[in-house]
Amino acid sequence: MKPVLFLLLSFPLLGALLVSLIGRHLSRRAVETIACTAVAASFILALTAFLLSGQKAYSLTLARWFAAGSFQVGLDLYYDPLAAVMALMVTFVSSLVHLYSVGYMRYDNGYIRYFCFLNLFVFAMLVIVTAGNLVFLYLGWETVGLCSYALIGFWYEKPEAANAGAKAFVVTRLGDVAFGIAIAICWVTLGHLSVSGIHDSAAGIDASRAGIIGCFLFLAAIGKSAQLPLSVWLPDAMAGPTPVSALIHAATMVTAGVYLLMRFFPVIQASMPLMAVIACVGILTICFGALGALIQKDIKRILAYSTISQVGYMFLALGAGDVAGSLFHLIAHAFFKSLLFLGAGCIIQALHEEQDIFRMGGGLRQKMPQLFWLFLAGTAALGAFPLTAGFFSKDRILLAVFLQPQAGYKLLWVIASMAAMITPLYAFRLFIIVFFGKSQSPSGPAKASPTSVPDVMTRVLWPLAFFSVFLGFLNLPLNWAGKEWLAQYLAAVPGSAMELHASSKMESAMQLGSALLTIIMVIVACIYYGTRVESVETGTETLLSKMQALFRNGFYLDRLYQTRITAPYRAAAGLLWQKVDAGWLDAGLNQSARSFLTLAETLRLWTTGRVSRYVSMMVAGFALILCSLTLAWWYLLI
Amino acid sequence: MNTSPLLGTIVFLPLFGALAALLYWHNERTCRLLALTVMLADLVLVLFLFTLTPHFREPAGGNWLRVEDFSWMDALGIRFTLALDGISLMLILLTTVIGALTVLISWNEIKEHVAAFHFFLLAMMTGVLGVFLAMDVFLFYLFWELQSIPMFFLIGIWGHERRIYAAVKFALFTISGSLVMFLALLGLHLLHARQSGETTFALHQLIQTSFNLPLELTFFAAFALAFAIKIPMFPLHTWLPDAHTEAPTAGSVILAGLLLKTGVYALLRFAFPLFPHAAQLFTPLLLILGLTGIFYAGWIALAQTDLKRLVAYSSISHMGLIIVGIAVWNLTTLSGSLLQMINHGITTSALFILIGMLDERLHTRRLSDLGGLWKTLPVWSGFFLFFSLASIGLPGLNNFVGEMLILIGTFTRQPWAAAAGFIGLLLTVVYVMRMLRESIWGEARISPGIADLTGRELTILIPLTVGALWLGLHPGPALELFGTALTVPDLVKGLPILTP
Repeated sequence: MKPVLFLLLSFPLLGALLVSLIGRHLSRRAVETIACTAVAASFILALTAFLLSGQKAYSLTLARWFAAGSFQVGLDLYYDPLAAVMALMVTFVSSLVHLYSVGYMRYDNGYIRYFCFLNLFVFAMLVIVTAGNLVFLYLGWETVGLCSYALIGFWYEKPEAANAGAKAFVVTRLGDVAFGIAIAICWVTLGHLSVSGIHDSAAGIDASRAGIIGCFLFLAAIGKSAQLPLSVWLPDAMAGPTPVSALIHAATMVTAGVYLLMRFFPVIQASMPLMAVIACVGILTICFGALGALIQKDIKRILAYSTISQVGYMFLALGAGDVAGSLFHLIAHAFFKSLLFLGAGCIIQALHEEQDIFRMGGGLRQKMPQLFWLFLAGTAALGAFPLTAGFFSKDRILLAVFLQPQAGYKLLWVIASMAAMITPLYAFRLFIIVFFGKSQSPSGPAKASPTSVPDVMTRVLWPLAFFSVFLGFLNLPLNWAGKEWLAQYLAAVPGSAMELHASSKMESAMQLGSALLTIIMVIVACIYYGTRVESVETGTETLLSKMQALFRNGFYLDRLYQTRITAPYRAAAGLLWQKVDAGWLDAGLNQSARSFLTLAETLRLWTTGRVSRYVSMMVAGFALILCSLTLAWWYLLI
Repeated sequence: MNTSPLLGTIVFLPLFGALAALLYWHNERTCRLLALTVMLADLVLVLFLFTLTPHFREPAGGNWLRVEDFSWMDALGIRFTLALDGISLMLILLTTVIGALTVLISWNEIKEHVAAFHFFLLAMMTGVLGVFLAMDVFLFYLFWELQSIPMFFLIGIWGHERRIYAAVKFALFTISGSLVMFLALLGLHLLHARQSGETTFALHQLIQTSFNLPLELTFFAAFALAFAIKIPMFPLHTWLPDAHTEAPTAGSVILAGLLLKTGVYALLRFAFPLFPHAAQLFTPLLLILGLTGIFYAGWIALAQTDLKRLVAYSSISHMGLIIVGIAVWNLTTLSGSLLQMINHGITTSALFILIGMLDERLHTRRLSDLGGLWKTLPVWSGFFLFFSLASIGLPGLNNFVGEMLILIGTFTRQPWAAAAGFIGLLLTVVYVMRMLRESIWGEARISPGIADLTGRELTILIPLTVGALWLGLHPGPALELFGTALTVPDLVKGLPILTP
């Protein structure tokens, strides 16, 4: 197992090193080949590891890292069914995104930097997935943040891209402060940092201590997974290349926070209040993201808000104690959301970098028929259309929330179900406006007819579309004569053994209900968005327009942070420098130096040139020195 | 105990080189080559020291790798004692590496009074090496002064526009600190002579001195003041931004890479062991000043417009964390602080070197003049990004290990201080992100056609890059060296190193 896991990690790292060090001397084709091969090899190894491991958990150490006193950290790995599923998903989606990128970035000259960071990202993501202790996990955690930063700001000459990269890094780093503190608390209270060790000791710790550790881990997860209140960086992160948005900001990195909580779920589980908080943050984020996605015009921002909302479901599932459901939705989401992003990338490139769905001229159904079907598959899965992957995964989460005994969870279930009705609405709004919209849009003339995109870009979407539609069979509910394969497979993972005690009748009723609601919402979306064009801004402040502005601007959260935190912090930095450091501290110290100068000037007046004066001064001086020496001597003796 | 004076050779080789450089004042190239050869030879000697294993228990029951003791001014009790343990070894390695690099850095930058420049540079190296090795307190004081005076000239002669102001400021701060220390040193010597009847300046003997508390506090304050100015600790830091901004690149590199480290080292080696009770009383103050420094300087760094000044403030902020590690005083934090001294020496030196290279090309360091450098200078920008990431503590690079050890060790004793330290790291991210945003990213404002890094410049940067990666991924050997040196029964009398 050790060599397999070692190679699994080393291939993408090696790819990144090769590309960055000798990429300049290689042809473009060679760089692309190295990058894609590295990730593909990693996928094959992930598959091998999955087949070899069965349901066992492996703890192994690759090398020692650092140690001081009793504190020791190694490059440890921990591989169990949870890591296996994640590693498969990460390497699979990464391989497809790498292939897609070959097409998407075909005219870009920064391809060395691009593939270097993309390979490095896969490495770092795999470190997160397979890390055996918190500090090594933190290495992966920070490195994905770096890659995200570098790739969001890939087109660094555009100010918004450069700003978005820095913003993403700082905001996620805010969560990482909590990660660091969590590491320290774990070390001090539990005495070890290894995944298996934390699992073992989680059984014995009291709820409050588990709550504190879990709380800091949760804060770290909020930052990475763009949950409220740290969600502000993700919409801006769309300034990066679209394949990057698909891989990092939809399928993998933003779900790393969810994975972190799943990994240490025994600790999280020990604290009921924390579970409730996670569920509440999840539900708030679901609504926040769904309402935001409903009103955006930029295709990538719609998908970004949708990601925020969907990751909220994963948090909700964790808050309801359902690790398998959370992972199920995570995997399903990874497939359908990367499909949608990559599909959006095709559209954007075909329409000469047009991202406004109202300016896409509509009628893409005839012009891009293949993409139409692919996009439909992704939209249906996102909208939880019956029998798609999203349908089964979302249903399981709702069921898990409903089955929680506390009364509060029933309320959460009601809100989550209502939010689940918005999802098909915004998903099909996007789909219908892009593919069926009227070509005469009021906000500007339609662009020229679409150009074709390379075949590779559409070809890689087919496997994603396949999984978006059929992945539900991975974890078919019991009333479908399914075996809940995924949940069974995960049963050995600490903290994830959870039985959903629902009668077959109740399960069927809930499925039927949500299927009906979804179909109704799809029909509503088709009628509502199919028959009208974008509403003309009238300039009058109606309640509706105010609401729309509120949703479009993400509840003004971004502006709030800008005016209340960023701007004052910057201004205070200037004041602190000019007024306190230079104006007060430095000036004060200079002044004291100057006062010595003044003293010296005064003393200079004594140099009168008269010898008698000098002699008397000398005598006085000697007397002074002798006195002080005597005093010092006396003081020392006592 | 007395063997061949290997350590003595290492210390004085640069000084001989300095004198020799003066002889070749008419031939600049020879001067440079001579200085480089001397520093490289010194480096080789230091590398040889890595083959040693600790086997000296004396003086003071230490884990010494090598001890050299010669009589010198016996009447005054001053001996020529040099001793090497793991801490000194890593620091003199850093010194000789940085020393060799500074000669290379100045290859094109320094064009006037070349012989004098190298004279001061090499003389300073002797001072720094001596500080890291001297075990006789008087000898230590001599080296302490020897390292400061050449810096005054380096800034004052080869500096930028306001060099005289910066040099005088540097000199006034340093001298007032070391003067107070010297008085306390003499007092300590007299007191010890009074108590034991021996006239000596040997550290391990002076440690035996017993004090009444007010006197011990006074002496500790006097020593700590000199060291705090050098570190520099908030609020005595104001000389540093000016000194850095005005110094030539080599001056900045030595300042950040070496001189600041001597302050921390002396605190650890002299002030704490000599006055343990006073030190214990002072640690809360040190902790608070260290934390204040992290936040204060980290915050101010955000407002800077001059790249060099920005890195200077970041340097103060980073030194704050090292002080926290010293103040908490357990094996984990001390190892972390010592490692962080090396790390900071690598990372900050590299940033100053890179800024110097930029200045040579563009003749500006103002952030508002830069932007989009990745387009024109991709290799330079790659290195700049790399070392910026090291300085924000990206795991896998050097600073992370030191920061982690300091903060974890601090957490075992002072959880709130550690939490504050973690938050302090965020401030670093904020100003570094802004620095990168306005220098390498953004619209290109520099006209194309400026040459990227040359072979000489790569030769300077690659060792630092390797060092950053090595200490980030495999810090084990270095930490072992520190650990062996720190786990001495009475490195600090009455203040044992606390193992968590």
